[in-house]
Amino acid sequence: MTRRLVLVAIAALALAAAPAAAVTQRTSLSAIEPQVMCVTCGIPLEVAESAAADQERQFISRLVAKGDTAAQIKHQLVLQYTEAVLALPPDRGFNVVFYLLPVGALALALALLALLLPRWRRNRRAGPPPGDGATPSATETARLDADLARFER
Amino acid sequence: MRRKLVPAITAVVAAAAVGLLVYGLTQQGASRALDEALAAHRQPAAPEAARQLPVLDRVGRTDASLEHWRGKVVVVNFWASWCNTCTAEAPLIEQAQRSLAASGQGTVIGIDFKDISSDAQSYIAQHQLSYPNLRDLDGSFATAYGTIALPETFVLDRRLQVVGIARAEIISERWLRTMIAKAERT
Repeated sequence: MTRRLVLVAIAALALAAAPAAAVTQRTSLSAIEPQVMCVTCGIPLEVAESAAADQERQFISRLVAKGDTAAQIKHQLVLQYTEAVLALPPDRGFNVVFYLLPVGALALALALLALLLPRWRRNRRAGPPPGDGATPSATETARLDADLARFER
Repeated sequence: MRRKLVPAITAVVAAAAVGLLVYGLTQQGASRALDEALAAHRQPAAPEAARQLPVLDRVGRTDASLEHWRGKVVVVNFWASWCNTCTAEAPLIEQAQRSLAASGQGTVIGIDFKDISSDAQSYIAQHQLSYPNLRDLDGSFATAYGTIALPETFVLDRRLQVVGIARAEIISERWLRTMIAKAERT
Protein backbone atom coordinates (compact mmCIF):
# COMPACT_ATOMS: atom_id res chain seq x y z
CA MET A 1 0.00 0.00 0.00
CA THR A 2 2.75 2.41 1.03
CA ARG A 3 4.67 1.50 -2.11
CA ARG A 4 1.65 2.34 -4.25
CA LEU A 5 1.25 5.69 -2.52
CA VAL A 6 4.90 6.50 -3.19
CA LEU A 7 4.50 5.60 -6.88
CA VAL A 8 1.37 7.78 -7.17
CA ALA A 9 3.24 10.66 -5.50
CA ILE A 10 6.18 10.30 -7.90
CA ALA A 11 3.80 10.24 -10.90
CA ALA A 12 2.01 13.36 -9.60
CA LEU A 13 5.33 15.15 -9.16
CA ALA A 14 6.42 14.19 -12.68
CA LEU A 15 3.16 15.54 -14.13
CA ALA A 16 3.52 18.78 -12.19
CA ALA A 17 7.07 19.19 -13.42
CA ALA A 18 6.18 18.55 -17.07
CA PRO A 19 4.73 22.01 -17.90
CA ALA A 20 7.70 23.67 -16.23
CA ALA A 21 10.06 21.68 -18.41
CA ALA A 22 8.09 22.64 -21.52
CA VAL A 23 8.78 26.33 -20.91
CA THR A 24 11.60 27.40 -23.17
CA GLN A 25 14.24 29.78 -21.95
CA ARG A 26 14.09 33.26 -23.42
CA THR A 27 16.85 34.12 -25.83
CA SER A 28 18.71 37.38 -26.33
CA LEU A 29 20.45 39.31 -29.07
CA SER A 30 23.86 38.40 -27.63
CA ALA A 31 22.94 34.70 -27.67
CA ILE A 32 21.83 34.81 -31.32
CA GLU A 33 24.64 37.01 -32.68
CA PRO A 34 27.40 34.34 -32.67
CA GLN A 35 25.08 31.87 -34.40
CA VAL A 36 24.35 34.02 -37.45
CA MET A 37 26.31 35.87 -40.10
CA CYS A 38 26.23 39.47 -41.21
CA VAL A 39 24.88 38.73 -44.68
CA THR A 40 26.57 41.64 -46.41
CA CYS A 41 29.96 41.40 -44.66
CA GLY A 42 30.39 37.60 -44.61
CA ILE A 43 31.56 37.57 -40.97
CA PRO A 44 29.73 36.58 -37.77
CA LEU A 45 27.18 39.20 -36.76
CA GLU A 46 28.73 39.60 -33.30
CA VAL A 47 31.87 41.16 -34.82
CA ALA A 48 30.24 42.97 -37.74
CA GLU A 49 30.00 46.76 -37.99
CA SER A 50 27.83 47.99 -40.84
CA ALA A 51 24.41 49.46 -41.57
CA ALA A 52 23.17 46.07 -42.75
CA ALA A 53 24.49 44.40 -39.57
CA ASP A 54 22.68 47.00 -37.45
CA GLN A 55 19.47 46.30 -39.35
CA GLU A 56 19.91 42.58 -38.72
CA ARG A 57 20.44 43.24 -34.99
CA GLN A 58 17.32 45.41 -34.85
CA PHE A 59 15.32 42.67 -36.55
CA ILE A 60 16.57 40.08 -34.03
CA SER A 61 15.87 42.44 -31.12
CA ARG A 62 12.29 42.92 -32.34
CA LEU A 63 11.77 39.15 -32.45
CA VAL A 64 13.41 38.70 -29.02
CA ALA A 65 11.07 41.34 -27.60
CA LYS A 66 8.14 39.51 -29.20
CA GLY A 67 9.18 36.43 -27.22
CA ASP A 68 10.37 34.27 -30.12
CA THR A 69 12.75 31.40 -29.34
CA ALA A 70 16.25 31.13 -30.81
CA ALA A 71 15.02 28.53 -33.31
CA GLN A 72 12.10 30.73 -34.37
CA ILE A 73 14.38 33.74 -34.80
CA LYS A 74 16.83 31.76 -36.91
CA HIS A 75 13.93 30.47 -39.01
CA GLN A 76 12.77 34.07 -39.58
CA LEU A 77 16.30 35.09 -40.55
CA VAL A 78 16.50 32.22 -43.05
CA LEU A 79 13.19 33.38 -44.57
CA GLN A 80 14.66 36.87 -44.99
CA TYR A 81 18.17 35.97 -46.18
CA THR A 82 18.20 32.21 -47.03
CA GLU A 83 20.39 29.72 -45.16
CA ALA A 84 23.46 31.82 -45.94
CA VAL A 85 22.64 33.74 -42.75
CA LEU A 86 23.40 30.74 -40.52
CA ALA A 87 26.93 30.56 -39.10
CA LEU A 88 26.71 26.77 -39.04
CA PRO A 89 25.22 25.39 -42.25
CA PRO A 90 22.43 22.79 -41.81
CA ASP A 91 23.75 19.21 -41.94
CA ARG A 92 22.02 18.10 -45.13
CA GLY A 93 22.70 18.06 -48.86
CA PHE A 94 26.14 19.25 -49.96
CA ASN A 95 26.64 20.89 -46.55
CA VAL A 96 27.31 17.42 -45.11
CA VAL A 97 30.77 17.75 -46.71
CA PHE A 98 31.66 20.54 -44.26
CA TYR A 99 30.94 18.20 -41.35
CA LEU A 100 32.58 15.12 -42.87
CA LEU A 101 35.74 16.88 -44.09
CA PRO A 102 37.34 17.41 -40.64
CA VAL A 103 36.50 13.80 -39.67
CA GLY A 104 38.01 12.58 -42.95
CA ALA A 105 41.13 14.71 -42.45
CA LEU A 106 41.55 13.34 -38.93
CA ALA A 107 41.10 9.74 -40.15
CA LEU A 108 43.68 10.36 -42.90
CA ALA A 109 46.16 11.81 -40.39
CA LEU A 110 45.67 8.83 -38.06
CA ALA A 111 46.10 6.38 -40.95
CA LEU A 112 49.35 8.12 -42.00
CA LEU A 113 50.60 8.00 -38.41
CA ALA A 114 49.73 4.30 -38.15
CA LEU A 115 51.61 3.69 -41.37
CA LEU A 116 54.70 5.78 -40.59
CA LEU A 117 55.17 5.39 -36.82
CA PRO A 118 56.21 1.71 -36.88
CA ARG A 119 58.75 2.49 -39.62
CA TRP A 120 60.26 5.39 -37.64
CA ARG A 121 60.45 3.25 -34.50
CA ARG A 122 62.12 0.40 -36.44
CA ASN A 123 64.68 2.82 -37.89
CA ARG A 124 65.47 4.31 -34.46
CA ARG A 125 65.94 0.87 -32.85
CA ALA A 126 68.28 -0.23 -35.63
CA GLY A 127 70.60 2.79 -35.03
CA PRO A 128 72.94 4.28 -37.68
CA PRO A 129 74.14 1.83 -40.32
CA PRO A 130 77.84 0.76 -40.19
CA GLY A 131 80.30 2.69 -42.32
CA ASP A 132 78.00 5.65 -42.59
CA GLY A 133 80.84 8.14 -42.76
CA ALA A 134 80.78 9.18 -39.10
CA THR A 135 84.29 7.73 -38.48
CA PRO A 136 86.91 8.90 -41.01
CA SER A 137 89.02 6.27 -42.73
CA ALA A 138 92.84 6.26 -42.50
CA THR A 139 93.15 7.93 -45.92
CA GLU A 140 90.66 10.63 -44.96
CA THR A 141 92.48 11.29 -41.65
CA ALA A 142 95.79 11.62 -43.50
CA ARG A 143 94.26 14.03 -46.00
CA LEU A 144 92.68 16.09 -43.21
CA ASP A 145 96.01 16.30 -41.36
CA ALA A 146 97.75 17.40 -44.56
CA ASP A 147 95.14 20.10 -45.20
CA LEU A 148 95.36 21.42 -41.65
CA ALA A 149 99.17 21.51 -41.83
CA ARG A 150 98.90 23.51 -45.06
CA PHE A 151 96.57 26.06 -43.44
CA GLU A 152 98.82 26.44 -40.39
CA ARG A 153 101.81 27.36 -42.56
CA MET B 1 53.97 -0.12 -52.89
CA ARG B 2 53.80 1.40 -49.40
CA ARG B 3 56.74 3.65 -50.19
CA LYS B 4 54.80 5.19 -53.09
CA LEU B 5 51.48 5.42 -51.24
CA VAL B 6 52.47 8.10 -48.71
CA PRO B 7 53.96 10.58 -51.24
CA ALA B 8 50.96 9.95 -53.52
CA ILE B 9 48.46 10.76 -50.74
CA THR B 10 50.49 13.80 -49.70
CA ALA B 11 50.60 15.03 -53.31
CA VAL B 12 46.83 14.59 -53.73
CA VAL B 13 46.10 16.46 -50.48
CA ALA B 14 48.53 19.26 -51.43
CA ALA B 15 47.01 19.54 -54.93
CA ALA B 16 43.51 19.73 -53.42
CA ALA B 17 44.62 22.46 -51.01
CA VAL B 18 46.23 24.48 -53.82
CA GLY B 19 43.13 23.99 -55.99
CA LEU B 20 40.90 25.23 -53.16
CA LEU B 21 43.13 28.27 -52.67
CA VAL B 22 43.08 29.13 -56.39
CA TYR B 23 39.29 28.70 -56.50
CA GLY B 24 38.89 30.96 -53.47
CA LEU B 25 41.10 33.64 -54.97
CA THR B 26 39.35 33.58 -58.35
CA GLN B 27 35.93 33.82 -56.71
CA GLN B 28 36.85 37.01 -54.90
CA GLY B 29 36.10 40.39 -56.40
CA ALA B 30 33.21 41.43 -58.55
CA SER B 31 32.77 40.40 -62.16
CA ARG B 32 33.20 43.28 -64.55
CA ALA B 33 32.11 41.33 -67.65
CA LEU B 34 29.16 43.68 -68.31
CA ASP B 35 31.31 46.81 -68.01
CA GLU B 36 33.97 45.35 -70.32
CA ALA B 37 31.34 44.39 -72.90
CA LEU B 38 29.89 47.93 -72.84
CA ALA B 39 33.38 49.42 -73.14
CA ALA B 40 33.86 47.25 -76.25
CA HIS B 41 30.64 48.76 -77.68
CA ARG B 42 28.68 45.55 -77.24
CA GLN B 43 25.32 45.30 -75.51
CA PRO B 44 25.42 42.25 -73.27
CA ALA B 45 22.25 40.40 -72.32
CA ALA B 46 21.02 41.17 -68.82
CA PRO B 47 22.26 38.30 -66.61
CA GLU B 48 19.71 35.92 -65.12
CA ALA B 49 16.80 37.70 -66.82
CA ALA B 50 14.70 34.54 -66.63
CA ARG B 51 15.41 33.91 -62.95
CA GLN B 52 12.32 34.08 -60.76
CA LEU B 53 12.75 36.36 -57.74
CA PRO B 54 10.31 36.84 -54.86
CA VAL B 55 8.14 39.90 -55.40
CA LEU B 56 8.12 42.60 -52.75
CA ASP B 57 5.18 44.59 -54.11
CA ARG B 58 3.17 45.84 -57.07
CA VAL B 59 3.41 42.86 -59.42
CA GLY B 60 0.32 40.91 -58.36
CA ARG B 61 2.16 37.58 -58.09
CA THR B 62 4.58 35.94 -55.70
CA ASP B 63 7.57 35.56 -58.06
CA ALA B 64 8.65 37.34 -61.21
CA SER B 65 11.64 37.58 -63.52
CA LEU B 66 12.89 40.44 -65.70
CA GLU B 67 11.45 38.51 -68.66
CA HIS B 68 8.04 39.66 -67.40
CA TRP B 69 8.95 43.15 -68.71
CA ARG B 70 10.58 42.11 -72.02
CA GLY B 71 9.52 44.55 -74.74
CA LYS B 72 9.85 47.54 -72.39
CA VAL B 73 12.80 49.65 -71.36
CA VAL B 74 13.79 48.49 -67.88
CA VAL B 75 15.83 50.41 -65.33
CA VAL B 76 17.14 47.89 -62.79
CA ASN B 77 18.03 49.60 -59.53
CA PHE B 78 19.74 47.64 -56.72
CA TRP B 79 18.91 49.08 -53.29
CA ALA B 80 18.31 48.23 -49.64
CA SER B 81 16.56 50.00 -46.79
CA TRP B 82 19.81 50.03 -44.75
CA CYS B 83 21.66 51.84 -47.55
CA ASN B 84 21.89 55.59 -46.90
CA THR B 85 23.13 56.40 -50.39
CA CYS B 86 20.07 54.62 -51.81
CA THR B 87 17.89 56.99 -49.79
CA ALA B 88 19.62 59.96 -51.39
CA GLU B 89 19.09 58.48 -54.87
CA ALA B 90 15.48 57.36 -54.38
CA PRO B 91 13.74 60.60 -55.54
CA LEU B 92 15.66 60.55 -58.83
CA ILE B 93 14.79 56.92 -59.50
CA GLU B 94 11.13 57.57 -58.70
CA GLN B 95 11.16 60.53 -61.06
CA ALA B 96 12.48 58.25 -63.84
CA GLN B 97 9.70 55.76 -63.09
CA ARG B 98 7.00 58.43 -63.38
CA SER B 99 8.44 59.56 -66.69
CA LEU B 100 8.63 55.98 -68.05
CA ALA B 101 5.11 55.17 -66.82
CA ALA B 102 3.72 58.34 -68.39
CA SER B 103 5.23 57.54 -71.79
CA GLY B 104 4.36 53.85 -71.49
CA GLN B 105 7.86 53.01 -72.72
CA GLY B 106 9.11 51.15 -69.70
CA THR B 107 9.52 50.81 -65.97
CA VAL B 108 11.98 50.87 -63.12
CA ILE B 109 12.44 47.52 -61.35
CA GLY B 110 13.87 47.76 -57.87
CA ILE B 111 15.98 44.86 -56.64
CA ASP B 112 15.92 44.87 -52.86
CA PHE B 113 19.29 43.45 -51.80
CA LYS B 114 19.67 41.33 -48.62
CA ASP B 115 17.04 43.24 -46.75
CA ILE B 116 14.37 42.66 -44.11
CA SER B 117 11.05 42.68 -45.99
CA SER B 118 9.15 44.76 -43.41
CA ASP B 119 11.93 47.40 -43.43
CA ALA B 120 11.88 47.39 -47.23
CA GLN B 121 8.11 47.92 -47.26
CA SER B 122 8.49 50.87 -44.88
CA TYR B 123 11.22 52.31 -47.11
CA ILE B 124 8.96 52.04 -50.17
CA ALA B 125 6.10 53.75 -48.33
CA GLN B 126 8.37 56.44 -46.91
CA HIS B 127 9.84 57.32 -50.31
CA GLN B 128 6.53 56.78 -52.14
CA LEU B 129 8.12 54.50 -54.70
CA SER B 130 5.63 53.58 -57.40
CA TYR B 131 7.62 50.92 -59.25
CA PRO B 132 7.71 47.13 -58.73
CA ASN B 133 10.35 45.65 -56.47
CA LEU B 134 11.80 42.15 -56.40
CA ARG B 135 13.87 40.61 -53.60
CA ASP B 136 17.43 39.30 -53.90
CA LEU B 137 17.50 37.34 -50.66
CA ASP B 138 21.06 35.99 -50.75
CA GLY B 139 22.62 38.56 -53.08
CA SER B 140 23.33 36.03 -55.84
CA PHE B 141 21.30 37.98 -58.42
CA ALA B 142 23.37 41.07 -57.66
CA THR B 143 26.56 39.01 -57.95
CA ALA B 144 25.55 38.09 -61.52
CA TYR B 145 25.58 41.85 -62.28
CA GLY B 146 28.94 42.32 -60.54
CA THR B 147 27.20 44.34 -57.82
CA ILE B 148 29.04 44.37 -54.49
CA ALA B 149 28.05 47.81 -53.24
CA LEU B 150 24.80 49.77 -53.30
CA PRO B 151 23.22 51.52 -55.05
CA GLU B 152 23.85 50.37 -58.61
CA THR B 153 21.67 50.90 -61.67
CA PHE B 154 21.48 49.10 -65.02
CA VAL B 155 19.49 50.41 -67.98
CA LEU B 156 18.15 47.66 -70.27
CA ASP B 157 16.65 48.02 -73.73
CA ARG B 158 13.48 46.26 -74.93
CA ARG B 159 15.47 43.07 -75.68
CA LEU B 160 16.77 43.13 -72.09
CA GLN B 161 20.27 44.07 -73.19
CA VAL B 162 22.38 46.28 -70.95
CA VAL B 163 22.95 49.73 -72.48
CA GLY B 164 24.10 51.65 -69.38
CA ILE B 165 25.62 50.96 -65.97
CA ALA B 166 25.94 53.26 -62.95
CA ARG B 167 28.13 51.63 -60.34
CA ALA B 168 27.44 54.32 -57.76
CA GLU B 169 24.67 56.67 -56.68
CA ILE B 170 23.16 58.48 -59.66
CA ILE B 171 23.58 62.15 -58.91
CA SER B 172 22.67 63.52 -62.31
CA GLU B 173 19.27 63.11 -63.88
CA ARG B 174 20.92 63.71 -67.25
CA TRP B 175 22.81 60.39 -67.24
CA LEU B 176 19.63 58.44 -66.56
CA ARG B 177 17.66 60.36 -69.21
CA THR B 178 20.41 59.81 -71.80
CA MET B 179 20.60 56.07 -71.07
CA ILE B 180 16.82 55.66 -71.19
CA ALA B 181 16.73 57.49 -74.53
CA LYS B 182 19.50 55.20 -75.80
CA ALA B 183 17.55 52.12 -74.63
CA GLU B 184 14.41 53.39 -76.35
CA ARG B 185 16.29 53.81 -79.64
CA THR B 186 17.76 50.29 -79.72
